[in-house]
Parts: sequence; structure tokens; C-alpha cells
Amino acid sequence: MIRGLWERETIALLILAAALPVGIAGAVEGGWAFATTFTLALAVLAFWQGVFLFARAQLATGIGVLTALAVTLLGPQGLAPWQIILGVSFGAVIGEQVFGGWGRNIINTAVASLAFLFFAFPEAVTPEPGWLIAVSSVPGAALLVVLGVLAWPIPVGAIMGIATVGLLMGADLSVLFSHGAIVFGIVFLSGDPVTSSATPAGRWAYGGLAGGLAGLLGWAAYGVGAPQTIVFATLLASLFAPLIDHTVITISAAARKRRHG
Amino acid sequence: MRLKFRKGLDIGIPGAPRQVIDSTIPVERVGVVGSDYGPARFDILVNEGETVERGTPLIRERKRPDIAVAAPVSGMVEEIAVGARRRLSSIVIKTDGDAAVVFNTADTQMREGVRRLLLESGSWTSFRTRPFDRIPDPDADPSAIFVTAMDTRPHAVDARVVFERHNDDFARGIALLDQLTPAPTYVCHAPEMPFSSALGRALRIEVSGLHPAGLAGTHIHYIAPATRAKVAWHVHYQDVVAMGYLVRTGTLPAERVIALSGPGLSDPRLVLAPSGADLVELTRIHATPGDKRILSGSPLCGREARFLSRYHWQASVMLRDTGKAPSNWMMAALRHAAAPVPLIPTRALDYAFGTDLPVVALLRALSTGDTEGAERFGALELAEDDLALATYVTGGTTAFGALLRRMLDTLEAE
Repeated sequence: MIRGLWERETIALLILAAALPVGIAGAVEGGWAFATTFTLALAVLAFWQGVFLFARAQLATGIGVLTALAVTLLGPQGLAPWQIILGVSFGAVIGEQVFGGWGRNIINTAVASLAFLFFAFPEAVTPEPGWLIAVSSVPGAALLVVLGVLAWPIPVGAIMGIATVGLLMGADLSVLFSHGAIVFGIVFLSGDPVTSSATPAGRWAYGGLAGGLAGLLGWAAYGVGAPQTIVFATLLASLFAPLIDHTVITISAAARKRRHG
Repeated sequence: MRLKFRKGLDIGIPGAPRQVIDSTIPVERVGVVGSDYGPARFDILVNEGETVERGTPLIRERKRPDIAVAAPVSGMVEEIAVGARRRLSSIVIKTDGDAAVVFNTADTQMREGVRRLLLESGSWTSFRTRPFDRIPDPDADPSAIFVTAMDTRPHAVDARVVFERHNDDFARGIALLDQLTPAPTYVCHAPEMPFSSALGRALRIEVSGLHPAGLAGTHIHYIAPATRAKVAWHVHYQDVVAMGYLVRTGTLPAERVIALSGPGLSDPRLVLAPSGADLVELTRIHATPGDKRILSGSPLCGREARFLSRYHWQASVMLRDTGKAPSNWMMAALRHAAAPVPLIPTRALDYAFGTDLPVVALLRALSTGDTEGAERFGALELAEDDLALATYVTGGTTAFGALLRRMLDTLEAE
């Protein structure tokens, strides 16, 4: 059997390569606290992958490293180890493994973990990642777009969505791209190829929806640089992604039927 | 009319053939394989030891007895193998001489005459329907006939080489299709083909682009989509050449142009050989040393077989993957699992798909066995070949073509 390149593990490794600069930037900024949280999250993810490998024959995948990175970067600070273990376990099991592993899940694992942490421990303070994270996300984004792992309509649609909402609300758009959470989140969370829409038109709609929700949550609730903003926006948008695809497919099938009879 | 295909992939596989017809390779054995003709049951009309001529009917479909499969060579029936559930596995003929049945080509100016000639000579099996890719009913009329006058599969025969030799027979074959049915005939060909100017009523569609631009599924999708109510037929250009030859001489042609290719051959090239030729005999002379897999069909969508399939015009010799077994159970468990690995949507997958059907939704419906969804996402417009590239780019862990075939069988039975 001859085999092409784009199997799941290749894509996981490419995404990890794209996230490498962010990881380095995060480690430089976060220091020791970053390292311990990251290692703990990674260990929890590896544990659950092992459990489901033996219980359900679901192959382990390297994408867990990105999940651990996202949880560390965007998660609340000063959590006790048991809180991190609980949050990451929720994300790994309910967000990913019960659906059949990465590739069959409907919400991003990191998004599920972070949403759990934000809801369960609202008293914890969540720091806003700064411009260094934003800048270090850009080369990865470019790499993923060039390789076709990140569908470019998603980030472009998201930026258009957030800008539209910002203009309507009279917000200052010039600082938008200095927020690490927004840039990292759009590329690696909203842009997750698995949980986003998969039709060409659907990707625009999905990106626009994620961006629009981020703008709404950002300027009306959490603050546009807050991790909660992009996490909840992505959570809601990816729940709508199947509906968006369904609508796009129905419309295009109807259009084809009209054209060809 | 032009069809410019912007997607598609060029996958570099070593061992592309020289596009020069080398010679006729005499083969000693030729096989007619039952599974080429779908799930239908066949009555076997010959016995072991019997002498047959080129064109002698070998098998006849039980439910539609007008449909017969003819012997591609003259010789002696050496073996009739019957497989599971008493279905025909294969009929092997030991070639001898050049005797051919001469068919009556007198009344090919009439629709009924053309049908009778094609059915009697076994040429009716050249047509396949879309949806489902089956041999059409003898009295059916298609919504359109698509002549696939190009082949973009990796290492395929360049149609130009065939047209340079058999332009007149191709035109005769197209004229025969004109008599067969009032439905439009579309000749889908690559740019700048040396056709003689007149191809009768047939509409010429110039198709450019990378594989899968040359697949019948792609052409039908963009020009006249097939549905259960609007059944399109498609036919390979070499079969049309064979029909032209049949009209001219009254006999079936003795050989077709076949590409022998792949990294396992020292001199990949085009040869003339009969349909059903023994692939081991064809490739033995030029095979490089070592363990090989001989595929009937392209490196992309071929299948390991002893005889060249009725519907393949190329054979590929691939090196057998002798991947080392993992050193212990832990490594084995990390590398392979019983459950298939999920697919991740990428642009490569979008480009691997010839049609603008929703590729991810369709492949997911196939993986989960969602028959209703698969039909809604356009499974009826496709056949195994259309998904070969998708299987390839996603790492070959899930054979989407086989899943589609199972799904089509279910949909057809409904």
C-alpha cells in the first residue's frame, strides 16, 4: 500500500511544530510555574490517552502537547494540582476520548478543559497573555496556512467578525493584535481542523461566528484580551459548526439540483 | 466546451512508463475474473478442456441472459475456478492460435442492430452505469454516454499514443454510439488530441488538470450529474476503439495498450497484451530482483491480482513493504489499533477530491456507515476510483473505496 503524508500523526506533528515558538515564548514569560503546570497537564493527558488506548483501542496522539500548552497559557493562575488534574481530565475524557479520540471530537480538548476551569474555579485569577505570545503565534499560523492544515478562511473570517463587532460597539481595534489570547486562540483553538466547519463556505461562516462572539464577549463582558473571551467564543462556534456545514451542504445540493434538474 | 480542473494532486511515484508502445508480449495464460463484473451470478457456458475462439461467449449473466462475457483470446479452457457461494472465481484460458469469431456487422445502421452486435460480442460489458458502476440493462437508455478519452491515473497510458494509432477505429466506435442511443455522447479528452475532425454528434469536452481530472466520476459530476433517475453510462476510450475495430473487421481486437510501470520494473513502458493477461508473465522479464506486489490497475487504486482486470489498462509492480515488526507489544499498541484512525480535514484532502461534493462529510458518513448521509452527500455519483486519492492522502489506513462499494451495494439493494 502506498501512503500519502497527511495522516493524523503527521498533522499533529505539524501543528506542534507551528506551536513551538509559542511554547518557547510561554516558557520564557511564565518560568517555573509554566513548566510545572505544563508538565502536570501533559501527564494527565498521557494518562487518559493510555487508558483509552487499552480500553477502547484509540491510538494515542501527539496533539496532547498542544492541549497542555493551551491550558497552561490561557488557564487561571495559582491553581492547586488537583484543580488542574480535574480540569484537564474533564477536557480529555468528555471533550475528546469519549467521542473516539482526536479527529472524532466535536469540541477542542483544550477549550473543554479551559471552560471547565473557568466555570468551576471562578475565583482564580486568569492573567492575560501579552504581545509576545501574539507575535510568536504568527509564524506558526503562516506555516499551517501554507500547508493547508489551517484553512485560511477561518482566521480571516474571525478577524473580520471581531472587527465588525468592534466597529459596531465603537471599540478601539488597534490594540486587538497585541492580545496573545486572541491571536493564539484564533489560530490554535478556533482553527482546529477537527472541530471547525469543513465546507468552504462553512469555514467563512464559522470563522465569522467565532470572531463575532469573541468581539461580543470581549467588549461586553470579559475584556477582549481575556482568555475566557476566545475560549467561550470557540466553544460556542464549534458547537454550531456541524449546523453550519449541514446548512451549507443543503443549500449547495439544492442549487445543484436547480442547475442540473 | 472546456473543463478546467483546478484541484487535484500529482503524487510522484517512481517508475513512470515510457510512452512508447514497445511490443506485443505473448502471454500463455489469460484469465476472465468473475468479480470484475459485479455481484451478478453467471452461468458458465464452457467446460474445462474445451477449445474457444476470440469472441466465444464464456459466461452469461443469469438474470439478464443477453449479457455475455466473451473470450479475449483463442485457446483452450484450462481451468474453471468456482469460489465462495458457488460464484465464478475465474476462467483461465491457455492461449493457442489466432482464431476469432466473426460477428455480423451488416445492420449497424439501426439501433437494434448495434445493440445485438455489442451484446453478442460481449462488448456490452464496456459500458458501466453511474450510479453504482454496473453493466447497464440491455434494453436501457442512458441519460448521457461519457467516453473517458483520457486517463490521469498515475502511470496510465497517454491516450495520445492510442489515438495516433487507432484514430479511425475510435471515430467508428463513436459513430456506433451515435446509433445506439439518442442521448448525448460526451467525449472527455485532454487538450490537443489528434482526433480526426468529425466525431459525429459527440460533444467534445476538453478537460485539463491533475488527477482526478480524468476520472469518469469527475466528468459526470460537472457535466450531467447522475442520479437514480438519470443514469449516465461511461466507457473507456480503448473500449470505443475496440468497438470501431469490431465494426470494421467483425472480430474483437486481440490486444489492448497496457502500461507496465512501477518501481519494481527495470524498464517501465507500454505494451500490447490481451485483456485478462497473466500479469506475472507480462512483468517477469523486466522485474527487478526482490519481493514484489503486482497490481492490476494504477499504483494508486490497483489491486493485487494474477490477471489484468477487464476494466484496467495498466499494471503496476510495487516493492513489497517489508516493514519491520515492532520490537515489543507496547510499541505495537502505540502504532496500530483495531479501530481505524480518524481523518483530519486538510487542504490536501480537498484537493484529492474530483467533485465539489462535501468531502469531509462524505468520508465521515462512509466511516460511520451512515447510508442516508452518504447518499445525501453524493455517494451515488462516485465509484471506488474517485476515492483512491482520498485514501492515499489520509495515509491509507482507511480504504474509503471499499467502504463506498459496500455502501453502494446497500443503496442499490434498497
